[in-house]
Amino acid sequence: MFKHLQTGNALKTVIFFTIIFYLGKILDPYNQGQLSVVLMYFVGILSITFLTGLSGQISLGQGALMAVGGYTCALVVLNLGLNYWQSIIIAVLASLVAGWILGITAARLSGPYLAGTTLVIALAIPSLANRFESVFGGDVGLSVDFGNPPEWLSSAVGEIGYEQWQLFATLPFASIALYLALNLFKSRTGRSWRAVRDHEIAASLTGVNVQRIKIFTFVVASGFAGLAGALYGLRGIVGPSVYPISLSLALLTGAVLGGLRSIGGAFIGAVLVVFLPDLIEAISGSWELAPQISNYLPAMVAGILLILTVVLNPAGVAGGLHHHKSRHK
Amino acid sequence: MEQFLTAVFAGTASGSIYALVALGLVLVWRGAGVINFAQMGQAMFSTYVASTLIMNGYSYWIAFFVALAVGTALGTAIDLLVMRPLSGKRGSAILASPAMRATVPVIASLGILGILQSAAGMIWAAEERGFPAPVSTLGLSFGGEIMPFTAFDLFVIGIVLVTLIITTIFFQKTGMGLAMRASALNPEVARLSGIRTSSVRTLSWAISGAASSLAGLLVTPSANLSPNTLDLILIIGFTATVIGGLDSLPGGVIGGFILGLVISFVNVYSSPSDIFLAILALLLIVLLVRPQGILGSKEVRRV
Repeated sequence: MFKHLQTGNALKTVIFFTIIFYLGKILDPYNQGQLSVVLMYFVGILSITFLTGLSGQISLGQGALMAVGGYTCALVVLNLGLNYWQSIIIAVLASLVAGWILGITAARLSGPYLAGTTLVIALAIPSLANRFESVFGGDVGLSVDFGNPPEWLSSAVGEIGYEQWQLFATLPFASIALYLALNLFKSRTGRSWRAVRDHEIAASLTGVNVQRIKIFTFVVASGFAGLAGALYGLRGIVGPSVYPISLSLALLTGAVLGGLRSIGGAFIGAVLVVFLPDLIEAISGSWELAPQISNYLPAMVAGILLILTVVLNPAGVAGGLHHHKSRHK
Repeated sequence: MEQFLTAVFAGTASGSIYALVALGLVLVWRGAGVINFAQMGQAMFSTYVASTLIMNGYSYWIAFFVALAVGTALGTAIDLLVMRPLSGKRGSAILASPAMRATVPVIASLGILGILQSAAGMIWAAEERGFPAPVSTLGLSFGGEIMPFTAFDLFVIGIVLVTLIITTIFFQKTGMGLAMRASALNPEVARLSGIRTSSVRTLSWAISGAASSLAGLLVTPSANLSPNTLDLILIIGFTATVIGGLDSLPGGVIGGFILGLVISFVNVYSSPSDIFLAILALLLIVLLVRPQGILGSKEVRRV
């Protein structure tokens, strides 16, 4: 899978890490918190980049896989006494298994069937949490404590606020996710995903095992989603309200707006989705809109952007940039 | 026994509404190759229009037909403004593969759903309001004994049956219906034989819009009206179409009734919170045992 880990990818990852770390030092606490949400969304959107962008399968229920990651993490912390970082690894493993099971079912489905089935799965999560309330904590969910910043970090950076610690704790995982994604994109596996997406039958004739590749996509995408879900738990609680259906849809929106087929696009999409409400607030704040208008404005703008992107520029922001660049070469 | 009868009648009434939702979904799927996740958003919007008319003193039936007209107009507008331009984008790299051509319209319909819901929120302040039923929603009584069904249940079942009969006649006996079936079966051949397939597509969207706004009008008296209330109905309707077979109109209708009964029995004998688990279980069983649905045709692969 990773026959040639490229040094260029390592460099990109280090640059990414450094820039976010620097931003984490200079931003105010609110935006530090927002930036950590961006990282979490970034990892979540990557799972859609692989699933939909690279392999052409649509899922409206990535939130459910995120919930698998989040709940596993919380349950391991609460019941096995491991710390949060060890639990994240177990959470990712659990999501890989969940993705495998889902993949076996879903590889037989295509397009709309898959969209609907994953949506129903995402909607069943709160019911499950309530059905087994003693384990999953019902509507309230489980509260988790991910500990305090270690000594060496505080002494290196100075005093670390709550939001800043969230950001610094998320950053290494997001960077690892980025590095893996960059390599997967260029790998043989990535190429066979694209082959299956573009022409299933042609791909199978060239020796790609279509069924196995589709299942494998789910496993990988689910690993990313599970990691994102576990990272979301760093906000202190894991419950049905943390992984609502709107989260799945927000991830999809981000993936489309940023560009379904690029890792840069996934990051741009995460920034857009997270900061869009703030941006709209900043612009419309002086217009003195009625609350019922301003409450629904972000959803309205997101819907309009989504349709405009799909109809006018399906490749998204990143695709647009790429197109622009190649034309002027 | 009485519990059982209550479950059967309530299930049949709600099942007929789900059948209507499934009908709308199958129409657009066959006619345009799109699963329209905005469908119950359209229904919600047109029901709000009807509700506003009734609150301003107009009669139920005026509001009823205005809502159907709004539903039809919304369906038409979605095709003309979004879906038709989108299908003209076949040349773009993202839409080059069949997998993505099925996926991208789903994303567009989710965008439309977002716009409709936020527009309704902005216009009607997102207050929950009730919606009247034209006849009583209390249990009918015959000779002092209370029956396990209401006048409204009978009204719903009756109106849905009439709709289904009209739809069947339209598809079997009229030239336009024949043209729609032909375009669904093979668009290319239909086009070559002189059928204007793009108008046929728009017509599918329009009829589907009317069917779903009818579903909205019939389902809201038993729930409150808010921008998100009908999301659940869409999920149930979608599951119904998958169970019945996505490309089969009678299949969708049968699926609707099956789901209506299953949900009703879960409600009566277990608890409402288990509904989603029941839907999920049903969906998975059908997909594993008979992925094309009860009446769906097996997909033919062509190179």
